[in-house]
Amino acid sequence: MTATATPLIEAHDLAVRYPNGALALHHVSFEIKSPSFMAIIGPNGSGKSTLVKTALGLIKPSRGTIKVMGYDSQKKSGKIRKQVRYVPQRDRIDLTVPMKVKDIVLMGRLLKKLPPRFATSKDIAAAKDALQQVNMEDLWERPFPELSGGQRQRVLVARALASEGSILVLDEPLSGTDVESQNLIVNALRRYHKENDVSIIMITHDLNPIHTLVEDVLLLKNTVIGIGEPCSIMDPELIKKVYGPTAKVVEHSGHRYCMTHDSGLDRHD
Amino acid sequence: MIDIIQIIIESPFLQRALLAAILIAIIAAASGTFLVFRGLSFMASGVAHAALGGTALGIFLQDSGLVPWFDPILGALLFSVLVAAFTGYAGESGITQKMEVAVGVSFALSMSFAVFLMYYIPPYKVPLIWGYLIGDILLLNDLDIFMLGSTTLLLAVITLMFNKEFVYVSVDMEGSTAHGMNARAYHYLMLIVSALAIALATKAVGAILVYAIMVAPAAASNELVKSVRGVIFAVFLIALVAELVGIAASFVVFVSPSAIAGILAALSYILALQIKRVRDRVDVDIDDPDLSPDDLKETWNHAVTHEHEDGHEH
Ligand SMILES: Nc1ncnc2c1ncn2[C@@H]1O[C@H](COP(=O)(O)OP(=O)(O)OP(=O)(O)O)[C@@H](O)[C@H]1O
Ligand SMILES: [Mg+2]
Repeated sequence: MTATATPLIEAHDLAVRYPNGALALHHVSFEIKSPSFMAIIGPNGSGKSTLVKTALGLIKPSRGTIKVMGYDSQKKSGKIRKQVRYVPQRDRIDLTVPMKVKDIVLMGRLLKKLPPRFATSKDIAAAKDALQQVNMEDLWERPFPELSGGQRQRVLVARALASEGSILVLDEPLSGTDVESQNLIVNALRRYHKENDVSIIMITHDLNPIHTLVEDVLLLKNTVIGIGEPCSIMDPELIKKVYGPTAKVVEHSGHRYCMTHDSGLDRHD
Repeated sequence: MIDIIQIIIESPFLQRALLAAILIAIIAAASGTFLVFRGLSFMASGVAHAALGGTALGIFLQDSGLVPWFDPILGALLFSVLVAAFTGYAGESGITQKMEVAVGVSFALSMSFAVFLMYYIPPYKVPLIWGYLIGDILLLNDLDIFMLGSTTLLLAVITLMFNKEFVYVSVDMEGSTAHGMNARAYHYLMLIVSALAIALATKAVGAILVYAIMVAPAAASNELVKSVRGVIFAVFLIALVAELVGIAASFVVFVSPSAIAGILAALSYILALQIKRVRDRVDVDIDDPDLSPDDLKETWNHAVTHEHEDGHEH
């Protein structure tokens, strides 16, 4: 990428304060080139979800600006949202509504249309294809609330895959999933990132499964602690600063491993 | 059968009651369903009581000569919209608990307001306010039916047009906004139109019946039916049957039709919970191979496929 290309995300002196007074983010400035596979990491409450929601214009910054593909999150949120497909943290999905798996996956496409948002055969084909990518095509007619947590997570990823737009934003898509689900999701994202010109922004507590995919890592603890390639972020001092003194980066026979309570063991060559 | 038709043809009040029963079943199917989806069943009751405060204000303004043209129904509609807007504002972020609190607060506020105004309303008009709570489906006049009918029509058209949006707002408000839908607008639209319909239904048949019909059938259907469309349809049926049985019963024995309808609606929910429990128990038995010996399995599976026609797979 050339330096003149529009960055995927750029933040300038961003601060976000919730109405209850909690200062979730402060002095956040960074820039990520486009296209990228970007990971946002940091402990609970470090402002990861807040940063993403602010970028999508869902939360108003109390100071500074954040732009996605050159569009300001407040003034041009419509332009941003045209390009974005978003997977919220799983617990944000309400389970009282009797949605079928197909309804959830189609939602990703129908949301990009205007009312009455009828599903065409093309929409249905795209939804089925997306479900196939996460190995859930047999559950098309199943009630979404009756799925297991990991299955629901896969369906939500399928919802994003089925939709359209050049930026995929995923808030902890791997939380509560077993290794098999993780591999399915990560492989689907890998394929997607490679085959289409799609940028991926993923919040995670665990870099391991996506370690080889990620191009940029943003390490947050209410402000930017580190930014760069996965290996440069795995700096012992940096990790200690964020995760506390129990986090360790160990070197063993030429590989660098990072140990935290969150991410377990993470290998960095 | 002929007798019944004869009776209906000869009594306009019965015709109005039957028409109102259908209209209210539609309101329950459209608003009640979505309120239950959003975890906001309490709002039906909040709006009904806010309407009471509004009615008190209308009576006061009219009676004191301050604003002579201010019909009490305007006050009821105004207050119910205010409650909906307040509730919507509290829940803009999509958090249900905040909306519940907002409903509770406006409930208390409008009741206090009503009681406050009662001291300044001539005593002979106070029963008008309480009448709002009780209501009687057999005492409707043509104007009641007209107002109820036009609001129901508005509600039905809006729900038909935007049912996907209302579902999306209930399921995932944040995600819907992030994908470019104006979730906030639909959020308010849903609450305000529901509030208008509930306020007018309350005027027609009373707060108690509205609350029972608005919430219980939707909650019952949501336990058992596994698609949005199915729930809406089931709510309509349960609500209509409860009301018709109520009206019919009031001809046979001396009883308030609203009371019977309310009790039936509530029973539908209890029944649904019971059916669901039995169903779940059967599922558990089947899932565990140790519990059913091989020769029995065939019969079991057979029985289960019949019982679960809505696509349960095991
Ligand atoms: N709706 C809200 N109202 C008030 N404060 C909030 C709200 N959401 C988040 N916060 C606060 O903002 C800070 C950052 O929260 P955020 O959800 O962005 O963290 P996170 O990094 O996504 O955490 P997690 O890993 O647990 O998802 C926290 O201190 C939290 O308490
Ligand atoms: Mg988060």
